[in-house]
Amino acid sequence: MESTRSDRADLFDPAVLASMGHIEIVARWIVDGFLSGLHRSPRKGFSVEFAEYRPYQPGDDLRYVDWRIVARADRWVVKQFEEETNLRAALVLDVSRSMVWRGAPQRLTKLAYAERLVAALALLFLRQRDAVGLVRFDDAVRTAVAPRARTTQWRRIIAALDGPGAGRASNAAEGLAHAARMVRRPGMIILVSDLLTDIEPVDRAVRALSVAGHDVTVLHIMDPAERELAAAGDAVFVDPETDLAVPATVADVRDAYRETVDAAIAEWRDTFARTGTRYETVFTDVPFGLPLRRAFAARQ
Amino acid sequence: MSFLSPLLLVLGAGAIVPLLLHLMRRRTGVRIEFPAARYLVRAEQEHSRQLKLRHLLLMLLRVLAITCIALAAARPVSRLIPQGGAHAPAAVAIVLDNSLSASAIVGGRSVLDGLKDGAATAISRLSGSDRAWLITADGAVQGGTPASVRAALARVKALGGAGDPPAAVARAASLVSNAARTTAGDAVVGVLTDGQATTWGNTGPGVDAGAARVIVLVPSLPPPPNHAVTDVEARPDRWTPRGEVAVRFSGVADSATYRIDLGTRTLARGTVSSDAAVSVHAAPPERGWVGGSVELEPDELRADDIRHFAVWIGPPPAIAIDSGVGPFATGALATLTSTSRAIPDKNGVAIVPADRLTTLPAVIIAPADPVRLGAANRALERAGIPWRFGALRAGAAERVDGIVVGGDTARADADVSVSQRYPLVAHGVSASDTLARAGGAPWVVAGSGYVLIASALDPAATSFPVRASFVPWLDAVLSQRLGSSAGGAIIHAVPGAAVPRPDWADELEAPDGTRRALVGATIALPATAGVYFLRRGGARAGAVVADAEARESDLRRLTAAALSGRFKATGGARMYTDRSAWTDAVFAGNGSRSVLAPLLALALLALLTESALARRWSQPERGAEGRRVAQRAA
Repeated sequence: MESTRSDRADLFDPAVLASMGHIEIVARWIVDGFLSGLHRSPRKGFSVEFAEYRPYQPGDDLRYVDWRIVARADRWVVKQFEEETNLRAALVLDVSRSMVWRGAPQRLTKLAYAERLVAALALLFLRQRDAVGLVRFDDAVRTAVAPRARTTQWRRIIAALDGPGAGRASNAAEGLAHAARMVRRPGMIILVSDLLTDIEPVDRAVRALSVAGHDVTVLHIMDPAERELAAAGDAVFVDPETDLAVPATVADVRDAYRETVDAAIAEWRDTFARTGTRYETVFTDVPFGLPLRRAFAARQ
Repeated sequence: MSFLSPLLLVLGAGAIVPLLLHLMRRRTGVRIEFPAARYLVRAEQEHSRQLKLRHLLLMLLRVLAITCIALAAARPVSRLIPQGGAHAPAAVAIVLDNSLSASAIVGGRSVLDGLKDGAATAISRLSGSDRAWLITADGAVQGGTPASVRAALARVKALGGAGDPPAAVARAASLVSNAARTTAGDAVVGVLTDGQATTWGNTGPGVDAGAARVIVLVPSLPPPPNHAVTDVEARPDRWTPRGEVAVRFSGVADSATYRIDLGTRTLARGTVSSDAAVSVHAAPPERGWVGGSVELEPDELRADDIRHFAVWIGPPPAIAIDSGVGPFATGALATLTSTSRAIPDKNGVAIVPADRLTTLPAVIIAPADPVRLGAANRALERAGIPWRFGALRAGAAERVDGIVVGGDTARADADVSVSQRYPLVAHGVSASDTLARAGGAPWVVAGSGYVLIASALDPAATSFPVRASFVPWLDAVLSQRLGSSAGGAIIHAVPGAAVPRPDWADELEAPDGTRRALVGATIALPATAGVYFLRRGGARAGAVVADAEARESDLRRLTAAALSGRFKATGGARMYTDRSAWTDAVFAGNGSRSVLAPLLALALLALLTESALARRWSQPERGAEGRRVAQRAA
């Protein structure tokens, strides 16, 4: 997989990349590829509260090599300290039924795409020595992993991604509130959702997070077919969450639908802009590197 | 607006299809799981008016297209369409008067050529939806496509006779009326004629054109002066060998030269002034059936400057008269003998009372004394004659219904009566002709080698022997029925006509000497004037003289009003002298024009507009482009 890392896996087609391995491996490739495209961070971030050892990596400051272990066991390790994590982040993932959908067989479902993106983000945070947690929600909070900066945290997050979901609603407000309770100090909260929910509760939750000093980023996951109706002819479109059935002739409503989706995106953007929340639309056919870069920019 | 095929308007019911589709829209279709259905609902709510307008517009365009197609299928015509558009479909019959008179030269070209030009102009205006016929004066009908009618027009030549243009018009009217009934189109009879008075002036109550419109084109230039040989008669038609050619001319304004030919020899030449008649006596050396002609110097109508005749030339019949036939028959035969129409010969044709009959051929006369009746019948039986005398009938005079010699009844004497006669009773089966009837019963009969008269030639029995027609009749009987030229006949006809074929004729010899076998009951004469000989057993035995009707030489025309009055057409008859005006009138219909093309154009426009709008509204924006828009907005 060295070649995969060197080939910038973060820029691969998401579906192709996902088919090459488990989410854990894929996330590593994404992050490795992503980081190889960045300049090394000048942050050192090590403080006095010891947290754990980790293997020495070229470039680590020799001051933090535990020479006694080197002398006694001939193992090169560096000491890590809890206080060096200068950021606490929570990834809030929508796992409602609407996320388990894709507009074309060759694409990932929105949930599969979001899970790999969340895994990669978590790994990226952890590589940056930041504490990161996970909240999964649909009509209620399904899974919560408290933020930690330990290397084992990522495996907990990966394991948590396999939890239950696919509920019939997206209660993003509760998911965000739960994340706020996990990140008590001002930190970073990233909402990954298709936002097929009412705007007001989300707005209130995001506004509360902003008031609390959190840096909020919203990654709006969309399948390309949700913006551009692809099906032709007459059809009855059924919302899998609400069972709302909408008969329509695609040719008739195509333009109006596109305008409506653009308007909805603009509404979400305006709403979040009022609270300083970053908002990005992420289509499931774009490489993971793009949303990762936007989220990373927020981290920087 | 009216429709030529109104039944096809039912296709308009198809317009309900887009209407139903419009109303049933979205009630069908597959179910698709689509999480963003809320955006669809919102889109429809926010753009409902626009979407409804689009649906309505598309539906209206589809309804319009189907309606236009249905209307077009029903072949609509309207008076509102301006002139210049395609004319309404019509059934057009062009009657071309190609009678002999139309071959007259006027202004350097024949009248017929001018009429054909007019017909060609009309044919060029025919469309595929029209039905067209070309009918000539001889009744020939050519229908079909404009191309076939045009080709038929090119083949039209002047007839050798008058033809029957009024009958052609009636036929044309029948054709177009029937066609118009089935297609509901306009029924037009376009007549192109020289307007000859002798053709159109004798049509009785007029030409019945029914519901068809009759549009007549007549030449604008007046007819030329014309002289003609109007009649030629060889008297008698058996020259023994002396005879006479009597000729009548017409239209000779000052003087004109003529020539009379017999066979290959010129019989006489001369100059005729005014309308004088000419008679030439001759005793030519030719023998047998000979043809001749009388030719006048040419003028603008060449075809009537020559006229033909035929005559049999040979020795007079030999006769052997029995003293028992009475003084009247004896006197008549003496007259014939003195004029060289007959020669006394004891071996000749016997003219004999029936009871003294011994040989044939014979003219057999009923016995004056009823006592001889039995002997007469026995003599008839011995001679093999299939007739017997019945008991004498005497009483009121019975009128004789014409006395026929050969096929010619022109010389029949209408004032012959019979007081005493023996009813003729057929005995056995044998071919025989009845030459005269008295009281409805056969009175004079003829067969092979005999002519049998059922009364004695006595004024007490019949007035026939004291009539002027008796001697010529006897002359004709002797020459045609019993003499050496017996069996022949002269038939007068017009070129191109069909005449009854004499049962003895087996070949027809044309003036150029070519022969053709005769079959069937009629003889179809060629269109060329002349003398055609009837042949029997390889020898000439009669003749058909084909010449135009004398009335064709009279080129005077009816006035427009008079000619118009000759047509009894509910659709009206209109006269024109201008070719283009006539053509316009033929296709002017009832003022209506076809709306087919505008409707099809409108249907096409509606379909194109619908297609363009539907494609524009249904064409997906390219995904990447849409995303760029969204990202730009971001």
